Amino acid sequence: MSSSTKRHSMMPRAGQLPKAPVNLSSSVVIHDNAVLTGNHTINISSETVIHPRNKLDSSHGRVTIGRRCIIHERVVIGAPSADPTKGEFGVTLEDYVTVEVAAVIESGCTTIGEGCLIGVGSRIGRGAKLGKYYQHCTITARSVIQPGEQLPDYTVLYSNGTRRTDKRGVTDLKNKAQARQIDVMRRLIPTNINRFKE
Amino acid sequence: MASFTPYTYIQCPCFDLSNQTRHSDGSPSPTSQDLPEDDDEDHAFDPRSPRSNYSLYPLEYLLYCVDCHQIRCPRCVSEELVTIYCPSCLFEVGSSSVKTEGNRCTRSCFQCPVCVGPLAVQSLESAPEASLLSADNASASGPTGPWALTCSYCNWSSSEVGVKFDKPQGIFAQLSKLRNGSNTGADVPLTSAVYARAFSALRSFYQSQLANSNTGSSMAGGMGDYGFSSPAALTRIMSIYSGSTSKPKNKATVMREADVPSEGFRTSNLDESEAISKLRAEGYDGTVTMEQAASQVEEGAHFADELWPVASLLRTKRAKRCPACRHILSKPEAKVSNTRWRIRLVAGNHIPSVTIKPLPNPGAPPPSALTPLKPTQYLLTFKNPMFDSIKVTLATPATTPGRFSSKVTILCPQFTVGANSDDYDLNEVLKAEDRDQRDRRREDDGSHQVEAGKVFERGRNWVSIVVEVIPASLQIQPTPSILQKAGEPDPDLAPLREDEDILEIPMFVRLEWESEPSQDQVGVASSGKEKDAKEKRELAYWSVLGIGRISQE
Amino acid sequence: MQLQLPFRKPIASWLRKLVTKMSSRKQVKGEYIETDTGNKVSRKANLIGTQHIMLGGKTVIMAEAMVRGDLTRTVSAQGSSGAAPQSNTSIFIGRYCFLSRGCCLRPPGRIYKGAFTYMPLRIGDHVFVGENSVVQAATIGSHVHIAANAVVGEFAIVKDYVRILEGTVVPANMVIPSFSVVAGQPGRVIGEVPEGGHEQFEMREMYKTVGNNIPPPTAPAQLPV
Repeated sequence: MSSSTKRHSMMPRAGQLPKAPVNLSSSVVIHDNAVLTGNHTINISSETVIHPRNKLDSSHGRVTIGRRCIIHERVVIGAPSADPTKGEFGVTLEDYVTVEVAAVIESGCTTIGEGCLIGVGSRIGRGAKLGKYYQHCTITARSVIQPGEQLPDYTVLYSNGTRRTDKRGVTDLKNKAQARQIDVMRRLIPTNINRFKE
Repeated sequence: MASFTPYTYIQCPCFDLSNQTRHSDGSPSPTSQDLPEDDDEDHAFDPRSPRSNYSLYPLEYLLYCVDCHQIRCPRCVSEELVTIYCPSCLFEVGSSSVKTEGNRCTRSCFQCPVCVGPLAVQSLESAPEASLLSADNASASGPTGPWALTCSYCNWSSSEVGVKFDKPQGIFAQLSKLRNGSNTGADVPLTSAVYARAFSALRSFYQSQLANSNTGSSMAGGMGDYGFSSPAALTRIMSIYSGSTSKPKNKATVMREADVPSEGFRTSNLDESEAISKLRAEGYDGTVTMEQAASQVEEGAHFADELWPVASLLRTKRAKRCPACRHILSKPEAKVSNTRWRIRLVAGNHIPSVTIKPLPNPGAPPPSALTPLKPTQYLLTFKNPMFDSIKVTLATPATTPGRFSSKVTILCPQFTVGANSDDYDLNEVLKAEDRDQRDRRREDDGSHQVEAGKVFERGRNWVSIVVEVIPASLQIQPTPSILQKAGEPDPDLAPLREDEDILEIPMFVRLEWESEPSQDQVGVASSGKEKDAKEKRELAYWSVLGIGRISQE
Repeated sequence: MQLQLPFRKPIASWLRKLVTKMSSRKQVKGEYIETDTGNKVSRKANLIGTQHIMLGGKTVIMAEAMVRGDLTRTVSAQGSSGAAPQSNTSIFIGRYCFLSRGCCLRPPGRIYKGAFTYMPLRIGDHVFVGENSVVQAATIGSHVHIAANAVVGEFAIVKDYVRILEGTVVPANMVIPSFSVVAGQPGRVIGEVPEGGHEQFEMREMYKTVGNNIPPPTAPAQLPV
């Protein structure tokens, strides 16, 4: 029952939204239930995993996702923000970024640096920059980053807005773990990239 | 505006007791001035008085003593420890080891000193590659040390303060060794270790001092000795009776204070330049917050790198007893994993629950806040948990106490609620439901009129009545001076305080019912010795109905 | 349609059964799929990898709720996905659970013996998961109430009779003992569930409020008695 009924509920939604022009690496894993929409280009680099029920929306600007990122389910990347002025690009996720369940990243020159972790249900405002070189920040679950906010490298944002610096120095370890996680997801998540390429 | 859920709080009778004891000694307490003058029984109590905070509870929090037939609250019951356990590893801890080892888990359960999240033991080295392991999976050993405690929430790691462990088990022992042992590396902050060592040195020094002075005084008969069985005590008493004013001759046994570092003496470090330069280098982020410093086991942490993992505090399972008759009111099973209760006498099984909802008004959606001066009707539903039908009598003051007094009218202050039944037989329940329906329809024929003296709706073991409120206006206006009576205190013109816009109704509830005489105490039954004679019971208490917020415009 | 009255049975209750039967037959288009064991699953729910999800019965899954059954355990690295004969269920849900709108259940994952794997998520009976809450725990006991917008981190262990208040973020690996009230970011135990509050975890009544032919109390009222 599962696939047929799901298609029924999903297809009209996907049909309503315009398919975005995409530029996908062949090693990308995108679940069938993800939605790529908008009129700007969506670039996704190699070995990135997109879970089901994601919405990558490029209608407010380009969406670029780096290598080996994991975008968990129900994430909205490129959400419209309160401020309607368009930036020169929408959202950029650098390599090794993890975006957890139901996080929202607003569009408008928003940059998530390498190795950042966006926790469950967080909201990243438009134009926010995580990391001076935009790197390795951790945004814990249910945090809100205001539009335009900038976080230095290795910032940990926790307890609803408290900041500290991550001094563990486990970046390599984390990246390795991410790669392994992607290996597993590759096996678990059925993908058909061609579906998204026109 | 935040949504508001109506609530019912019930006042525990222990409030009264404390009131009486306070007045019996006749000393006017400073708080009594702003309390109502008379504490007569018929006076409505003020749910907003500061004392009320300590006696009002939701029904779930109340217990019921079946011997005293009285409500008992968490404040008046006496508690007994049943089990002590660690909330993190759920291991039971014996009370004797709590006495010797303290009230913290001595295994590997730690809390993050930065954010109180749980700490997990993690290897600082990367795990071996999966590809290398796949060949001989069975022999795959996990990652190897050194190990550190890391917080999965704020990413704090004990390696930040230089704490690393050789093995992933027995962290508590390793940590206390690191902390108090002399083998601490240079990178480990020594302040707290110094404190601990200083304390133990001081203690041993003064203990030896005491011992010395004791032996010295017993020979010399000094005044400093209070051991009553010692010969010194005898000489002291003798000297009192003989009236001799001779002072003890030997002053040499007076206790000496510690004055060298080996005895635990430590000059306070007045040179704070180091701390200042550290502050300059690390800034505000390098310091600890008050909360973090308070959660530390040992005092003295000022900088973030002095924060140590906090061993998790133990938790208890407790039995509760009635304060008056010592009857056990609740007793959990002793095992940590067992969630059953041996005894659980909760008030919810003895007094009716009250639910509040706005009277459904067809056409209009329920308003989010009460409109001032507009009569609004609410439905109070009383549900009887007992197997005897109860007669309920309600009373409220005509106006609510406080600065903004709203008018309150209970349309049906006296009614009977049917008994609860215990049959879970499906057909019975269905039949009962049918009866419910019929009852309801019969009421329907009366077409749900909101009428004084009539029950609004009735079911097998529940009754709904209507209460009408006229919310006060929240405008704060001075009374015109003409209307102000002489001698009356000036009206309070302070701006609206927190939650002062909530309409709270104090309501006195009196329950009367007849029940089987309790088997366990025959002598108490007042209604004769006949077996089938029903015993009359009565229970009365104050409660508070939180109806809703009054809108401020 | 011929009605044959069964012998010696209260007509009212028989009629009621008939009515429910008829209504359930014609409710093919109803919002909920009702299984033999009494589960009510919204057609708008997102169940992914249904073959890896085990429902104990009488569980309600509302619209937009997401259950990630597809993230199965992959620890036996040789046999790739589902080759092992042992059950590869990734999410166990007990009886009388209630998954509200927009909540998400997903198995926790971690590096185990050098390889990443997901581990099963086990949920007991009478567990309520509020709207938009995300649960990635290892175990949720019975009689647990998770309010709206809460996050239960990976490998958390929540024991029985626990109340997680709205917006709580339970950090990963946290153990919450029985009879705790948890709140905050990060979540911490802020109180105990009172003795009289155990019945509030009961989900039977809640179960009855959801389904295709709701509200039931009004429907039988029209029956002739």
